[in-house]
Amino acid sequence: MEEYAREPCPWRIVDDCGGAFTMGAIGGGVFQTVKGFRNAPVGVRHRLRGSANAVRVRAPQIGGSFAVWGGLFSTIDCGLVRLRGKEDPWNSITSGAMTGAILAARSGPLAMVGSAMMGGILLALIEGFGILLTRYTAQQFQNSSPIVEDPKQLPPKEEARGYGQYQ
Amino acid sequence: MDNSTPPPGGFKGGLGSIFGGGTPEYSNTELSGVPLTGMSPLSPYLNVDPRYLIQDTDEFILPTGANKTRGRFELAFFTIGGCCITGAAFGTLNGLRMGLSETRDMPWSKPRNVQILNMVTRQGASWANTLGSVALLYSVFGVAIEKARGAEDDLNTVAAGTLTGMVFKSTGGLKGVARGGLIGLAMSGLYALYNNWDHLKGKSPSHY
Repeated sequence: MEEYAREPCPWRIVDDCGGAFTMGAIGGGVFQTVKGFRNAPVGVRHRLRGSANAVRVRAPQIGGSFAVWGGLFSTIDCGLVRLRGKEDPWNSITSGAMTGAILAARSGPLAMVGSAMMGGILLALIEGFGILLTRYTAQQFQNSSPIVEDPKQLPPKEEARGYGQYQ
Repeated sequence: MDNSTPPPGGFKGGLGSIFGGGTPEYSNTELSGVPLTGMSPLSPYLNVDPRYLIQDTDEFILPTGANKTRGRFELAFFTIGGCCITGAAFGTLNGLRMGLSETRDMPWSKPRNVQILNMVTRQGASWANTLGSVALLYSVFGVAIEKARGAEDDLNTVAAGTLTGMVFKSTGGLKGVARGGLIGLAMSGLYALYNNWDHLKGKSPSHY
């Protein structure tokens, strides 16, 4: 499978909306399977039917909530890319904070501030982890020291070379 | 020698390239007049005219065995997101229509506005979730069937559509399963027909 790269704006909005819906529906489906099984009356048939009904009713709603979050986040992200003219982690962090604030608007200004902080911190953690992962994977592709002129200083040929060795 | 006075042909060719416009044509007479030994109008230090290095930016470098088109997995998220947004748009219109018709005898006041707004938001969310679920089932079945068969053709589309219809209507018993399967088969069959219309008409598509 090829590497999955993100789409450029504005198609990224649709892509992220679909990805968020998928995560929410599948993850929510797993949770609702367990919750429906436990909340059903006694009996194997009752419990299995309870699981199926809970997944059928609740999984699309959870997916829809995730889709709203993902779609709004990408919309604000693409707007910031257009306004600032650059793509960096600050766009994602600001988008996460603004998404949290907007989706908590009905609960009042205090809840907006709390949700904005939670969104910003979450995206900051995600971006930080992404940067660390990028640096870690970049070290795998570093070349080793150049070959010396004297061939007698080379290691023996029977020794197996690592994947990262480019000689 | 005296480089400030080049030969008349070279001089005319150089001036022609300068004043000819942004897109010079590379005919033989044009090329014969372009000086290539330090006399380029762009820079006297260039031995090669950099305009020859302009390449088509639409070309891709593909590894051996890699396909140019995007697979079904790459398009799954776009399909699901597109169906969610489309469902939200149509659901919003339907909610507006229902809200306006149900509150026809009310005066324009806050209760009527709240009622219409509630209908719009609930119908939009409901339609988006429903269409998103259908798209999710279709994409999951499509990717699974593609991995199982190891082939990429329209049988995957038809099989995924049929399975989606069957699962989506499975709560109505066997009759619901049969009806859903038929609906899924018909819709995916139409889509496969539309997808291969160029082949069926005998044309040779130029974008492959």
